[in-house]
Amino acid sequence: MSVKLFDIDIVISSIPKLLQYLPKSLYITFVSMIAGLFLGLIFAIVRMKKIPVLSQIIAVAISFIRGTPMIVQLYLTYNGIPLLLKYINLQYGTEYNINDVPAMLFVLITFSFNEAAYNSETIRAALMSVNKGQIEAAESLGMTYFQVLKRVIVPEALVVAIPPLGNALISLLKGTSLAFVAGVIEMTAQGKIISSSTFRFFEVYLALAIIYWVLTIIIEQILKLLEKKFSISDVHTDVQKRKWTSLFNRDREVDR
Amino acid sequence: MIKISNLSKSFQKNLIVDDVSIQIEKGEVLALIGSSGAGKSTFLRSINCLEKADCGQLDLDGFHVNFTNITKSQKLELRKQTAMVFQHFNLFQHRTALDNVKEGLKIVKKMSDKTATEIALKHLEDVGLSDRVNYYPKHLSGGQQQRVGIARALAMEPKLLLVDEPTSALDPELVGGVLSTIKATAAKGQTMILVSHEMSFVYEVADRVIFMDGGRIVEQGTPDEVFNNPKSPRTEQFLQSYKNR
Ligand SMILES: Nc1ncnc2c1ncn2[C@@H]1O[C@H](COP(=O)(O)OP(=O)(O)OP(=O)(O)O)[C@@H](O)[C@H]1O
Ligand SMILES: [Mg+2]
Repeated sequence: MSVKLFDIDIVISSIPKLLQYLPKSLYITFVSMIAGLFLGLIFAIVRMKKIPVLSQIIAVAISFIRGTPMIVQLYLTYNGIPLLLKYINLQYGTEYNINDVPAMLFVLITFSFNEAAYNSETIRAALMSVNKGQIEAAESLGMTYFQVLKRVIVPEALVVAIPPLGNALISLLKGTSLAFVAGVIEMTAQGKIISSSTFRFFEVYLALAIIYWVLTIIIEQILKLLEKKFSISDVHTDVQKRKWTSLFNRDREVDR
Repeated sequence: MIKISNLSKSFQKNLIVDDVSIQIEKGEVLALIGSSGAGKSTFLRSINCLEKADCGQLDLDGFHVNFTNITKSQKLELRKQTAMVFQHFNLFQHRTALDNVKEGLKIVKKMSDKTATEIALKHLEDVGLSDRVNYYPKHLSGGQQQRVGIARALAMEPKLLLVDEPTSALDPELVGGVLSTIKATAAKGQTMILVSHEMSFVYEVADRVIFMDGGRIVEQGTPDEVFNNPKSPRTEQFLQSYKNR
């Protein structure tokens, strides 16, 4: 019996096996995205406020992260953190066990900082793009800075920031395929494992590609919906009234 | 009575508003005229703390502030007592006309949604925009946007309304609607300082006119005194440049 050149059944049967590890991939994606947004906001504010020393350190870190490949950064954390622990142990006589550090932590740290570096630039640009006149109008009404931030600056900045942040999320999802470098088994690593035991490399990787593609399409659709919700169409329609602001203030519709 | 005394403001080393003092009676319309760069906008913005004045004082019905060491809470209080209409409208782009007017009522005055809506609708009706309450700024003409801006300011019931060149960003055919809105506001007894280059409008609507030049008050009086019998040659020269247009 000859071996088939291409076996679609293997593609199909690989999908559920790969999907077992989907939660891992999504976990890395969402934890890193949330940490990256939070850190990115802090980085952006530090740089906008030009806080001395801290601002320069962050600028260098961002430049480094943007200027080096992700896989190299993973190798650096994977090998660097144990080195750091060894140094601490030697220096202070502590006994941290390198093997106790979960592999996932290396991955989350690397991805979070990577996201933070890219997001901070997006967030900074979005915050700075908010029209000064609207901020002054809010101030002249007697709003506090926090109220202005919440009612005017953040909603306006979001409109600008959603598309690039969405792209960052998609790159991140695909980037999680590098986590195997640090010994974390997610979908791509699982693909390697299955394919090397069955020797059906093409079929398994095709199944993997389809999964990533579908995930990306789903995220893209969600982003499109968000974008639509957050932008105001070019012509007035009665239907669209207030759908935007309802996200931020849940007051009733006014019937007139 | 509202009193602003010895207000000065400089940018870097340039003195832009130079020791200006004015008094406004309740219900009075005070017009500020002067050539470009005279410091009119800077003066208005300093009153509202959008610019930090170097020094000066303000008395507003017993509320007193010294701009040199104004506190955060004084600043908020001052802004609650005053309201501003901007040259470029500065409406909240992601809110409808109605929500623009409601914003200060709800967030600053902490009114209920129902009360805020009622007040906002009344003010939008006053400026003739009852049929546009659910429109976003970008779906309104410049003139309509400016009238929303006026409604937003008036809804706060300011003791002093600050209006900076309300029509200079508008196409000529839209100017009339905004000017008549301001005239109606003045007729209701709203105390205001109005900066404008529309000289015939100023002549018509103002109770008192101040001519500013180089950050200082050069001349003041009734519209008739300033426009028809200017005392200072500088004022005369300025007015002449308008007649020659
Ligand atoms: N933020 C700023 N930084 C530096 N200089 C400024 C700033 N704002 C205003 N100025 C300067 O202050 C001077 C007065 O400006 P201002 O806007 O008060 O004039 P104006 O009387 O309102 O003029 P216009 O009729 O053209 O509006 C100008 O020379 C301007 O360059
Ligand atoms: Mg001006």
